[in-house]
Amino acid sequence: MTVTESASTRTRSGLQSQGPVRSLTMSEKTNLDFEAEALSYMDQLYAAALRMTRNGADAEDLVQETFAKAFAAQDKFTPGTNLKAWLYRIQTNAFINTYRKKQREPKRTDADTVEDWQLAAAAEHQSAGLASAEEAALDALGDDAIRDALAELSDDFRMAVYLSDVEGFAYKEIAEIMDTPVGTVMSRLHRGRKLLREKLRDYAAERGIYDRKAEA
Amino acid sequence: MPKRQCEEALTKLFEYIDGELSDEELLRIGAHLKECPPCEAEHRINEKIRLLVSKANGESAPHQLRERVLSTIQMARTEAT
Repeated sequence: MTVTESASTRTRSGLQSQGPVRSLTMSEKTNLDFEAEALSYMDQLYAAALRMTRNGADAEDLVQETFAKAFAAQDKFTPGTNLKAWLYRIQTNAFINTYRKKQREPKRTDADTVEDWQLAAAAEHQSAGLASAEEAALDALGDDAIRDALAELSDDFRMAVYLSDVEGFAYKEIAEIMDTPVGTVMSRLHRGRKLLREKLRDYAAERGIYDRKAEA
Repeated sequence: MPKRQCEEALTKLFEYIDGELSDEELLRIGAHLKECPPCEAEHRINEKIRLLVSKANGESAPHQLRERVLSTIQMARTEAT
């Protein structure tokens, strides 16, 4: 009996109860575990792909490509290590190779250093009144505004913020996924979040729920 | 010009939020945020944005994508045998 035959009796959630007569070999079991776990990340990979490509059709193609590459390279994955991060890495590479080229976005040289944002970060206290006005404005903005603001960030900033805020990856994991040093991840997060906050303030001001003039 | 403690808290605020600090730094900055309302306000705003971003990004994969991926796996399987 071949693996293909046993696969045809499977449902997505596993083997059917009347399933194959013989028990699975170790490597078949490993493959099924890999497949089940990988598939469980599809929603997350799709949401990430939407942020990357910024449109539904490209996002679907990207996720499809990610899974095709992942299954083709399955042997290179070490069981017991972080499969989710591994899949994100494949998807990020696929995005850079396929879609960035397609968009003909000039690849930026990341000259941003840690020292840069550390200098810029300090001295950002604001008055209590302004802070609570900003909080109230943020509460009044809907999901669409948040997604639009995120979409306006450059790819590197957007992905760093996404991987941290939405997926909760550690800096070290984001560094591996984006193939960049941890310092660059921190820099992208700082700059990306600062820009995002600026954009959200702008959106709120446009809607008349926040007064930018009061900041001065 | 903020105090030195404020400067440290504001510089490491994202690492604080992201759980990337050592226990020692975490405790020190956490204690400062408790006693410094302007720093705590910065902390709250950034934490709020993080939550909003997380909440706004939970789309599910469309059904046809799921079908496409599953048939890709089937094909990969067939080729492997």
